[in-house]
Amino acid sequence: MALRAVRVLGTNWAPLPALPALRRPRAAPLPPPIRVRGLGTSALLLAARKYTDKHEWISVENGIGTVGISNFAQEALGDVVYCSLPEVGTKLNKQDEFGALESVKAASELYSPLTGEVTEINTALADNPGLVNKSCYNDGWLIKMTVDSPSELDELMSEDAYEKYIKSIED
Amino acid sequence: MKNMVIRASLRNWFQLFYVHKFPAAGFRTTADGAIILQSVSNDIYQNLAVEDWIHDNMNLENRQVLFLWRNSPTVVIGRHQNPWQECNLKMMRQKNIKLARRRSGGGTVYHDLGNINLTFFTSKRKYERMENLKLVVKALKCLRPQLDVHATDRCDLLLNRNFKISGTAAKLGRTAYHHCTLLCSADRFLLSSVLKSPYKGIKSNATPSVPASVKNLFEEDPTLTCQIVMDAIAAEYAICHQIDHRVTLINPTDETVFPGINNKTKELQSWEWIYGKTPKFSISTCFNMVYKHSFLEVKVDMDIKHGRIEVCNINLPEEWLPPALCGELEKNLIGSKFCPSEMTALASALLRSCPQDYEVHRRWNLLCENMTTTLM
Repeated sequence: MALRAVRVLGTNWAPLPALPALRRPRAAPLPPPIRVRGLGTSALLLAARKYTDKHEWISVENGIGTVGISNFAQEALGDVVYCSLPEVGTKLNKQDEFGALESVKAASELYSPLTGEVTEINTALADNPGLVNKSCYNDGWLIKMTVDSPSELDELMSEDAYEKYIKSIED
Repeated sequence: MKNMVIRASLRNWFQLFYVHKFPAAGFRTTADGAIILQSVSNDIYQNLAVEDWIHDNMNLENRQVLFLWRNSPTVVIGRHQNPWQECNLKMMRQKNIKLARRRSGGGTVYHDLGNINLTFFTSKRKYERMENLKLVVKALKCLRPQLDVHATDRCDLLLNRNFKISGTAAKLGRTAYHHCTLLCSADRFLLSSVLKSPYKGIKSNATPSVPASVKNLFEEDPTLTCQIVMDAIAAEYAICHQIDHRVTLINPTDETVFPGINNKTKELQSWEWIYGKTPKFSISTCFNMVYKHSFLEVKVDMDIKHGRIEVCNINLPEEWLPPALCGELEKNLIGSKFCPSEMTALASALLRSCPQDYEVHRRWNLLCENMTTTLM
C-alpha cells in the first residue's frame, strides 16, 4: 500500500526501504493513526508535501515532519555554501526563524512551517551543503520535527496550490 | 531646532512603517516612498542594530531605504565565519579594534572612518544587488568621469580593474537588504595586517573569505573624501527614486524612534553572538616553548563548539609538569569559553587550588601564556 502511494506522488521519491527496516516502536499492531486530515489510517503512509509561502516544504510521517526548501527556492538561492541549523531539542513555533542558508547571493532565513520540537538535523549538510541544491526534496532535507498542532498543516499549501503561488510571483 | 523638526517628522514617518501588516485602506502612499538615512553613530553594534530594526519592523512592500554609515576601527565577519580563521584577534585586542559579526553572509572586512557602508533595503521582490552597485558606479562616475570603476559578477567593485574598493553581502528574511563597503580613505596597511590570521591548525567548514588587493578612492583622487562620496551616492539614489535629495540623520540609540533597538545592540555585542555563533571547528597544532635552556614541544588538540572548548588534549614532554595538574587543566577547560581572559582566570584558579612549588608555578604560567598567545 505504501509503495503504491509512492508511485502516485511522483518519480522523484526514493524507493521505500523494505517494511521491516522502517523504525517502529512496536512490531505489531500498528501505532495509533496520527491525527492529520487527509492521511489514511496507516501511519506508514507517507504524507504529501505541504508548502509555506516562504518556500519551505514539510512532509509528515509517523508524527514527525521532515522540512526542506522547494526547488523554486533552491534555484533562487544559487549554490548553498553553508547551512545553519538549530540544535536537536529546540522548540519552534510556526513561522519562527530556525536557521539560515548561505549562498553566493545572500544569507536567507529559514522559517518553521509548524509548531514542534526539532528531533533530527541533516548532518550531511555540514560537509556537503550543495545537497540542498542537488536534492532539495530528498537528501537535501534540513530538519525533522514533531508536529504539535496537526491542524497547522491545513493552513499550508498543497503541491497544486504552491505551483499556482509560484506562477503568481513570477509574473 | 532644525534637527528636532527632522526627528519629530521622522518619528511619524517611522510610525507609518512600524507595523507588519498595515491596513490598505487609509494609508496614503507617495509616489515612491524612498528615504535616505545617515547614522550619527560610529559604533558598529549600534549601526548593525539599525539594520536589524529596519528589517524586523519596517513594511518595505512599496518602500525603499538607503542607509549610510561609518564605523570606528572594526573587523566585521560574515554570519557563518570563524574569527580565528579570518583575523588577528591578538592584534585587534592590542590596538582596540572591535570585532563584530553581521547577520548577512559573505566575507570579512575592515571598517574605519575612511570606509563608507551602504545598505539598500527593499522588498524581497525588488532585491537586486547589481542595480544597487550600478547606482554606486554611476554616482562615482558623475563625480569623476575619468574614474575606472566597475562591478564584477561577484558583486565586487574594482578600481582600475585590479583593486577591490567594495565588497557586498546580503540578507533575505522578512525583507531584503544588500549592504556593501566602499574604501575612500581607510588605513589599508592596518587592514592587511589585521585581516591575516596567525592561528594555525584550524579545521572548519565555516565560510571562508576571498582575499583581494585593495585600494582607496582617495589614492586615485585625493579630493574624494567620504563626505563627498556619500553625498554623490545619496544624490544618485534620490534621482533614481524621484525623491528630494535629503539625508535624514538618525541616532541609533533613540528608543522613541526605534523602539526596542537597544536590545538588538546588546545582542550584537554579546559574546554568544560574536564568538558563540562560530560554526564548530577543531584545532590541531604544535608550538615550542623555551624554558631555561631547553626547547619543548607542546601539542594541542581541541574541538570548539559554540565558542566553547568541547574536547581538549594537551601533550607535553613527560613529567615536565605533574600529570595530575595537566589532567585537571584539560578537564576544566572543557565547557569554558575559548578566550584568553577565561583561560588565564581558569589557570590561576587551578594553581591556587593545587599548592605547588615555585618551579611548577613558573612552568605552569609559561604553558598557559603560550597557549593563550598561540591559540587565541
